[in-house]
Amino acid sequence: MLPNVNDKSVLAVFKLVKAPIYSHCFSSDRSLLAITCETSCLVYRLTNINSQPKLVATLANHDKTITAVDISIHGRIVTCSQDRNAYVWEPLSDGSYKPTLVLLRINRAATSVSWAPNGYKFAVGSSARIIAVCYYEQENNWWVSKHIKKPIKSTINCLSWHENGVLLAAGGTDGFIRVFSGFIKGLDTKEAVAGSPWGSKFPFGSLIKELYQGSYIHDVEWRSKIEKVAYVAHDGTLNILDSQGGLQSVNSPDGLPFRSLAWINDHEIVCAGYSCHPILFSEASQGWKFAKNLDKVADAAQTPVATGEGEEGEDDNGTFGISALRKFKELDLKGKVTTSVKESAHENAIMELAPFAESNGQVTQISSCGLDGKIVLYTV
Amino acid sequence: MSDWRRIDIDAFDPESGRLTAQDLIPPYSHVITAQELQPKIQQLRSLSSSGDISSAIKLATNDPPYSADDATKAQYMMAVLETLTQVRQADITNILKGLNPQEQVVLVKYLYKGMSITEGQKQGGILLAWFEKLTQVAGVTPIVHYLSDRQTV
Repeated sequence: MLPNVNDKSVLAVFKLVKAPIYSHCFSSDRSLLAITCETSCLVYRLTNINSQPKLVATLANHDKTITAVDISIHGRIVTCSQDRNAYVWEPLSDGSYKPTLVLLRINRAATSVSWAPNGYKFAVGSSARIIAVCYYEQENNWWVSKHIKKPIKSTINCLSWHENGVLLAAGGTDGFIRVFSGFIKGLDTKEAVAGSPWGSKFPFGSLIKELYQGSYIHDVEWRSKIEKVAYVAHDGTLNILDSQGGLQSVNSPDGLPFRSLAWINDHEIVCAGYSCHPILFSEASQGWKFAKNLDKVADAAQTPVATGEGEEGEDDNGTFGISALRKFKELDLKGKVTTSVKESAHENAIMELAPFAESNGQVTQISSCGLDGKIVLYTV
Repeated sequence: MSDWRRIDIDAFDPESGRLTAQDLIPPYSHVITAQELQPKIQQLRSLSSSGDISSAIKLATNDPPYSADDATKAQYMMAVLETLTQVRQADITNILKGLNPQEQVVLVKYLYKGMSITEGQKQGGILLAWFEKLTQVAGVTPIVHYLSDRQTV
């Protein structure tokens, strides 16, 4: 892989595994990194961003593909998997982890998991049209779950907790973005949601807001301070919803859908997905619009790569899959690929973005994981 | 019971919550009927027969009858198809540039729909010309929207 020399936005590239990474999470002090790798969750120690992370633990209790991982503020790791289970991994003093099975009571794959900000409960989305909100029960020494069922019609793809730990945004393949209440008696207090613009009563499982988007929703993320929720959908849009139901929408500049998003500040969002590089959007007086590309490989038209004569086929129109086409032509004619072919840091779709470093309420660095088995750090 | 792997376990569970075709229909506040749509179809026909294709396309791609039943949609489709096929090839690019992104998405839906029905297949060349020019003007964005949208024409 050749780093994209013209772009300073890539801080570090870690090629960790030879399998897709569907989800990743850093601990709150950024010293530990957990990634999904097939049926295991791998935990790495990151000393600094210039050296490769060191594998410190392999969490291998699941027997089907792990779909999501999250780390709580207390350092507990939660993983969920297509085997319909979730495990909470308690860190022990010797650096190993003690697993506890969570009773999800679902009959389809678990697809997404997210710790509440206070670290005492988490939500699991599933293909069983259920969101399981799980919390620890002292008396039974067990993680139990309560279900949110109605009116979910299909798989839940993504979840996000509001800072108050009560409002839970969820999106999925039924094309609806919904805000539920995940209020657990004894864990949450009514004061946390007092004066919320989203409603006045928040009994567990009640539907607070619902909006029809029409296509699969891949990721959703709260910006609690300004009471807005942003989500990306498979039609290539980034959408920002406020508590009054006002919706702003902006298209991906190259048309390809996003898989994930991260708020940078109240007026900026980074999205990434099938175009393999992050894209920054910002809010101006006329609404949200495209701001810039991070680590975008210049179009073939702008960087003329030496091509042999007779290669200018009619399919060479510079729009679709041109770099792949050229690569194979080069292989065919010369038996090698020219060194001038540039690649973006991610060579396949980006699955998840997360804030990595912040200063003064502004995210300055983000991390991403992709189907190419890489973790990349970008500076915004 | 040798073929137990093929047993549809959801059929035995009333609570299974299996997705039905009905669940995938977007929530419409109002279902438009054939009568309500007639004036628009008439207007579309008169615009296209008077040669004002640009206005006709604008009209056709605004507020399409998503909620109507298949027969009504088919009637509307025929009127749109007439408009699409009466255009002069040289005018297509300019007409497309006059459309906003939403209108372009609706137009792509009608182009795909046109290519899927026999009447449209007879006019395949002109539909493909529309399609080619549209991707030159708007890129793949309207196609991505079309592929993921449950509101069909």
